[in-house]
Amino acid sequence: MAVVRLRARLRVRDLFAEALAGLFTRPGRSLLTALGAVLGIASLVATLGIAETAGAQIVTAFDELAATSVVVTNDRGFFGTSQTQAALPWDSEERISRLNGVVAAGTMADVQLGGRLTSAVPVNDPLGLTEFQMPMIAASPGLYAAARGELSTGRWFDRGHSERADRVVVLGTGAAQRLNVTRVDQQPVVFVGDASFAVLGILEDTQRQPELLNALIIPEGTAREMYDLESPTTVQIDVEVGAASLISEQAPIAVSPDDPGAVQVQAPLEPDEVRAGVEEDVNALFLILGGVSLLVGAIGIANVTLVSVLERIGEIGLRRALGAGRRHIAYQFLLESTGVGLFGGVIGASTGVLVVVTVSALRTWTPVMDPRIALAAPVLGALVGLLAGLYPALRASRMAPVDSLRAGAAG
Amino acid sequence: MTDELIRLLGVGRTFRSGDIEVRALRDADLEVRRGEYLSIVGPSGSGKSTLLNIIALLDRHTSGTYRFEGTDVTELSEGARTGLRAHRIGFVFQSFHLLAHRTVTENVIMSMLYNSVPPRERRARARAALDRVGLDHRAGFRPGRLSGGERQRVAIARAIATRPAILICDEPTGNLDSASTESVLELFDDLRSDGLTLLVVTHDDAVSARAERIVRMHDGRLSEPVAV
Ligand SMILES: Nc1ncnc2c1ncn2[C@@H]1O[C@H](COP(=O)(O)OP(=O)(O)OP(=O)(O)O)[C@@H](O)[C@H]1O
Ligand SMILES: [Mg+2]
Repeated sequence: MAVVRLRARLRVRDLFAEALAGLFTRPGRSLLTALGAVLGIASLVATLGIAETAGAQIVTAFDELAATSVVVTNDRGFFGTSQTQAALPWDSEERISRLNGVVAAGTMADVQLGGRLTSAVPVNDPLGLTEFQMPMIAASPGLYAAARGELSTGRWFDRGHSERADRVVVLGTGAAQRLNVTRVDQQPVVFVGDASFAVLGILEDTQRQPELLNALIIPEGTAREMYDLESPTTVQIDVEVGAASLISEQAPIAVSPDDPGAVQVQAPLEPDEVRAGVEEDVNALFLILGGVSLLVGAIGIANVTLVSVLERIGEIGLRRALGAGRRHIAYQFLLESTGVGLFGGVIGASTGVLVVVTVSALRTWTPVMDPRIALAAPVLGALVGLLAGLYPALRASRMAPVDSLRAGAAG
Repeated sequence: MTDELIRLLGVGRTFRSGDIEVRALRDADLEVRRGEYLSIVGPSGSGKSTLLNIIALLDRHTSGTYRFEGTDVTELSEGARTGLRAHRIGFVFQSFHLLAHRTVTENVIMSMLYNSVPPRERRARARAALDRVGLDHRAGFRPGRLSGGERQRVAIARAIATRPAILICDEPTGNLDSASTESVLELFDDLRSDGLTLLVVTHDDAVSARAERIVRMHDGRLSEPVAV
């Protein structure tokens, strides 16, 4: 019947207007209440933002290529500090490859050609237009991988080529261009002095030892037999990330057990792990601090909302008398506390972003921040406000209208 | 008008706190007809507010039957009772219960938030209600700047803006001086002549004398003297 249709209602717009009016009734208090959420959200956003920004700097500084390269040479060094010149053994590649953490290893040495010229055609050219002075490098089969080479065509030589002292050559891309060799499928030949070498492949690019790109690269066995090469001079090692310092200690012992100090090692600078660890701890500490201040903020919101419920007990009774249902009362206080949290979240997120930008500017970093953090922060604030308001809102809605009216009669 | 608006049959209300039982209302029989101006008088603690709260659906009786506009509200759900409060009942308190931070108009509009008055009509209705209580010139004021009598008239405007079936007043002049009391009583007379049903609780005989019918209360019991 008619009575059933007479339901109490509260339009969403009115609910929002009432909650907003409630907040603006005591703007100072609402601001102070939001302060806890502001601090919590700000420290969370700032911590995450600074961590991300600092992380981006480290990633920029951290060069994977450099961090995984160890080079051993038997150069005496510029000042000739080492008394003896330790000859690197021919089997350096095998010795190094056995070490844990090594991905690939290869040896190389410059070959002295004694003025021999290189040409792609067999005829002696009196004008010298097709003959060039070109560097030659003797390499082990593993150098290709260790230097992270890339062939545009053909193949690299293998152990068999070296053992048989086959007259084969891989052309660095610069050498190939000058000799006008672009394909290897018809088995082109290049001449070095009187000797002919079959072209196996063309080295298009290499990430390490870039001098290979302009050189004629032949197997070490071939260089030993034809040009009396005495020993490799350089070992290029590709190591796993994080293994560089260990390998740079072990490699000299592996190739020169009698006198490890006689070889030189070029190892990358390891990122300062201790410092990184401290930064991580500091981050965790700030996150915990942010979480704690957010919790304190939530308790603050809960507290103030509860106080305001008790203060406005007469208003609650009045609204009930005017026809507000329990849930209308609960919604209103929930919305008020959520509004405080949302406001705290927005201000906190802005403050946090400002901190990140300021810190970055002071350290001349590029501020890097996932925009989702800045967007999620107000949502988190609202959520905190919502949770904080649950208990006070429940208290408010549970009060019997008569009791609220009596208790709030002074109002 | 002999139309029944409210009917109480053997209604009682017992408060229980721990072992102590207070029978604030005993076996009350009462009929309120539409358009009637009824006053309930009695000494302090006699149960007048208890009765009024039950009639206004703010409280539930513990025994007997209560019919409001023909509907037995005894077993009605909380939601349905709230709906009735929002649409059919206007309540005026001794202590006004105006929100200090809202203007007079905003205070009047509050009674229309929880019922079916379309938002567009609220302002006009509030203005009409304020006009009715003679306070249209105070529409933008905050309650703190009004006299006691003016505040109570704002509260009455708030109660009648929803066009309730009955206006229930608990000691409406309890906080007022005699001049203010007179202005409120004149307003009641006007509302009565508009056809509004009035139920006014008071312990002031000068106030109850203005009503058509007086019901006395004593120790939670109603007694109806011969009509004046
Ligand atoms: N919630 C309650 N719990 C216990 N006793 C109550 C409660 N409410 C009212 N009473 C008791 O019921 C009796 C009637 O109270 P009520 O407020 O109805 O009196 P009243 O006639 O309105 O008095 P006054 O004129 O002073 O307003 C009183 O003895 C009071 O103590
Ligand atoms: Mg009373």
